[in-house]
Amino acid sequence: MTDDALFWHRIHFAFTIVFHYLFPQLTMGVAWFLVGWKWLHLRTGDARYNNAARLWARMFGINFAVGVVTGIPMEFQFGTNWSEFSRYAGGVIGQTLAMEGMFAFLLESAFIGALVWGEKRLGPKSHFIAALGVAVGSWTSGYFILVTNAFMQYPSGHSFAADGSLRLESMSRFLLSPWALVQFCHNQAAALVTGSFAIASVGAFYVLRNAKSEQGRLFLKWGTAGGLLASVLVAFPTGDQQAKLVARHQPPALAAMEGRFDSGAMADITLIGQPDVQNRRLDNPIRVPGMLSFLAFGTFHKDVPGLGAFPENTWPTNIELLYYSFHVMAGLGTLFIALMGLATIQRIRGRLESSETLLWVLMLAFPFPFIANTAGWMTTELGRQPWLIYGLFRTSQGYSKAIGSGEALFTLIGFTGLYFLLGLLYLLLIGREIMHSADENQYAVLAMEKAAW
Amino acid sequence: MVELWFGILTVMIVFFIVLDGWDFGAGALHYIVAGNQEERRALIAALGPLWSWHEVWLVGTGGVLFVAFPRVLATAFPAYYLALFLVLWTLILRGISLEFRGHIPHSMWRSFWDFVFAVSNTTLAVLFGTAFGNLIRGMPLAPGTPLSLPLFTDFGVRGKVGILDWYTLSAAVFAVVCLSAHGASYLSLKTESEIHRRSARAAKVLWAATAVLLAGVSLETFYVRPELFAGMAARPAAWVMLALTAGGLIAIFTGLHSGSELLTFRGGCALIAGLPGTAAASLFPVMLHSTLGPQYSITAFNGSSDVSSLRTAAYWWPIAFAFALTYFSFIGRHYAGRVKLSTDTQRPY
Repeated sequence: MTDDALFWHRIHFAFTIVFHYLFPQLTMGVAWFLVGWKWLHLRTGDARYNNAARLWARMFGINFAVGVVTGIPMEFQFGTNWSEFSRYAGGVIGQTLAMEGMFAFLLESAFIGALVWGEKRLGPKSHFIAALGVAVGSWTSGYFILVTNAFMQYPSGHSFAADGSLRLESMSRFLLSPWALVQFCHNQAAALVTGSFAIASVGAFYVLRNAKSEQGRLFLKWGTAGGLLASVLVAFPTGDQQAKLVARHQPPALAAMEGRFDSGAMADITLIGQPDVQNRRLDNPIRVPGMLSFLAFGTFHKDVPGLGAFPENTWPTNIELLYYSFHVMAGLGTLFIALMGLATIQRIRGRLESSETLLWVLMLAFPFPFIANTAGWMTTELGRQPWLIYGLFRTSQGYSKAIGSGEALFTLIGFTGLYFLLGLLYLLLIGREIMHSADENQYAVLAMEKAAW
Repeated sequence: MVELWFGILTVMIVFFIVLDGWDFGAGALHYIVAGNQEERRALIAALGPLWSWHEVWLVGTGGVLFVAFPRVLATAFPAYYLALFLVLWTLILRGISLEFRGHIPHSMWRSFWDFVFAVSNTTLAVLFGTAFGNLIRGMPLAPGTPLSLPLFTDFGVRGKVGILDWYTLSAAVFAVVCLSAHGASYLSLKTESEIHRRSARAAKVLWAATAVLLAGVSLETFYVRPELFAGMAARPAAWVMLALTAGGLIAIFTGLHSGSELLTFRGGCALIAGLPGTAAASLFPVMLHSTLGPQYSITAFNGSSDVSSLRTAAYWWPIAFAFALTYFSFIGRHYAGRVKLSTDTQRPY
């Protein structure tokens, strides 16, 4: 029964965190665009920028509300479902979780209300400050959460208290751990990809509906430019550096990500293939020789150990899922660069607004960064297994022993139902916002509505 | 260091309950003080820009508990597993009812979210009241077995207690009335015309009821945890908190009498800050009181993190707190005065 409980506690956390992170990644990704538009409006007085900011600020209101309400359960689950982990590591990871609340979340939430509700009350200057506060707050928030995760991936700055639990030895080594810095850059670039794709997608939709849509053209321009920059940054240098850290500090995770069972120099990188863990091999692989050695260590001659080189009790617990997650993330990341590169070339040639096929692709591409971000996080978290804190504390030690599988399953089902409803409402409301603004007479329509209710 | 963190945790809880308390209270009064859709919209607009900021103090409280008293967190949270998820789910419904209501201009859509808003806020007042009741009454902590509380046992306050008993239920009733009074004070300060008139009247009735119930709950507390009063008599920190509470009560009724809504509101804040403050100062260092024997209680000393972790956190916390107050003054300056539907809207056109 105990293994059973562990399984449900893991699914519980995985489900609630995956659903939650759909929203902050969009907030973090769009926040700087909003700051840019508010700034340009403030500088030039050009109303187009303010209208662009208004649409996204209204979507922010919906997005942020869902992000906040799904985020609070995350923090409480450390206590309810992972109490042994909290008891062991609270002195260290509690620091960043508390700092996130105190430094970042209070900043972000103080200004989001002003951004969404207060344009008239605040005036243009303070409204710009509100947008800036939300952007800084959401990125700071991301940093503290990533430091927490980085500590679980690569513990740094800790020592042990008399009772064996963790205590914080060096705040600077904890906050500025190399893993945290690299992971932050990689993750924030990935959030910018989500934001850019969402903006480009809305832009493509507007232009497809009405080729003269000014707002559509603006969104296309900013979305594709930001999308290309961010997609490149996700791969290089941030993704590259992240992979090198995994190669150095979590070698079994790298082997599992690549479905590699045998060791050796000139290690191949796998583009396609299915891992067969039972027989310890990769079925129907397509490989590029030597690339893994090169990407992981910068030289073709370095030995990349396969899973066979490690004792089985340090293997990630779900190798197949880890392998697929990694390949989905890396494959999509490559496609993003190609798509945004093509869109940028066409835009520079002045042909983007007339290439109907490309606009359709851009419009329908917005879910894929969400998939890639989720797959990336699954790679991170599955690669960390079987450890909760790498090399220090196993996942099987961390869950609340008093909470059985039935209780965990019960609350998981509750979250599933509630989040399904939240997701439906979210799509309905976001869809309405986009449809409204697509109408060239949006302000007249809104004024009519206002009079009607 | 442990004393400092116990104080900080109390400050965090006080900020959360004072700030979000008026949202809970105003929400509980939604149908009573706001008669039609326009008035309900005004009530929501009085809370809309700030509720998430208030709720984040709960996140901060959780974070402070995590870093400073991980053993308290690790004992109490699984023990109240289902109750805590009820709180989380209700918080989700409360948040989205506020934010989603305005997005579709249809009366059925709005009526639905009005209902969710009123019910979830009232439920939250009940849940947090019960939680405070449980903290004061204590829980059946014993060594060896992980703690898990049933919803109720024999409704008594000694021995093997459940989440609900006569004491925690009275705390819940008190919380609903007191936070509603607080919400009514806030609304009377922030709104105009009819809704303002009804809120002011509700505040009068509810604050009077709060005073009566407070006397009752205090007597009950004297029976349930007599050591709270012994601590209160002996500790200067508790005297300060008690003075804050009493000052709050006096300010509330002076304000009601003289028609100064601001004074009443400030008095309400002082009262709601003073009550948990007095309890915390009087009961220190006990955090989780055991109903099975005081030797099993978890105190601030045996429940805290290592002192080096506490010391590090003591460097950054005051900075973060100062920042938080800065944003508050920025936002507070802009949101001073009564809400007007013409300016306080998500639609700036």
